[in-house]
Amino acid sequence: MHRIDCPWCGERDEVEFQYQGDATKVRPKPDASEDAFFDYTYQRDNPKGWHTEWWHHVGGCRQWVKVVRNTLTHEVHKTGGPQSKLPLPRRKAEGGL
Amino acid sequence: MADFAAIHPLGDLDQLQGDGGEGISLTVVHGFQSAQVFAVSGKESALANKLKLGTTPGVATDSRTMTALPVSPGQWMVFSKKQDGAFVSMLAKKSNGLGHVSEQSDSRICVRVSGPQARELMSRGCRLDLHKSKAGKGFCAQTPTAQVGVLLHQVDDAAVYDLYVYSGFARSFWHWITHTAEQFGYRVNSLRL
Ligand SMILES: [Zn+2]
Repeated sequence: MHRIDCPWCGERDEVEFQYQGDATKVRPKPDASEDAFFDYTYQRDNPKGWHTEWWHHVGGCRQWVKVVRNTLTHEVHKTGGPQSKLPLPRRKAEGGL
Repeated sequence: MADFAAIHPLGDLDQLQGDGGEGISLTVVHGFQSAQVFAVSGKESALANKLKLGTTPGVATDSRTMTALPVSPGQWMVFSKKQDGAFVSMLAKKSNGLGHVSEQSDSRICVRVSGPQARELMSRGCRLDLHKSKAGKGFCAQTPTAQVGVLLHQVDDAAVYDLYVYSGFARSFWHWITHTAEQFGYRVNSLRL
């Protein structure tokens, strides 16, 4: 069970959110190649460890929250809004791998 | 021409008396007007100042005439304190150029939960920490309660909650809340503003 700290609502239960996938993907320019769009649309890594992802706070403020979560331990390291830069933990003390 | 009459989403369910117990009091509140208010991008504080809407998440603004619950940045649900057919158009007029107002008076019902076991009852379906050290008068939140989206407003320092529930979920929610209240004993009242 996750507790996710919504930047606006505060800490809320996981059931209030919908997982919306990888938040590291950046939409290619409109004139980019078909391969670039294929990669953007379909190709996903499946990391073991820290991952930056979208969680939609659909049961609360309905905003999109960026979450750095550990796919192995389910620990939530940091959360922020769509514009937030959220570096992954590096040091071991922060849970870096 | 057919003659249309307004029907409350609970129909006559709130005519039921409950089991007469003292633990929980469920009061169906009738007769308020409500609207959703959205700020035009960049005009959030101007609109908030104009309509006297608080911008702190989780904190309701209460005035003589209305209650405003912030639901998202630049968005509020606003409820009239009494029956007032001009309430929503008044908001729209004042918001002109700063925001948009959407009439929502029939979109939700209001159930006021009170009684010595009110907090205990809420803990059966609501995941927020409503302990008095965390939530007092004016606390508000949009949160699923018993799988139904509920806008919760604590109207007193004691555990008294106004729950605004979408009309389409009203009967289902009523079923849950009365069923859950049975273990405490409950009464049903009706309040017309
Ligand atoms: Zn939120």
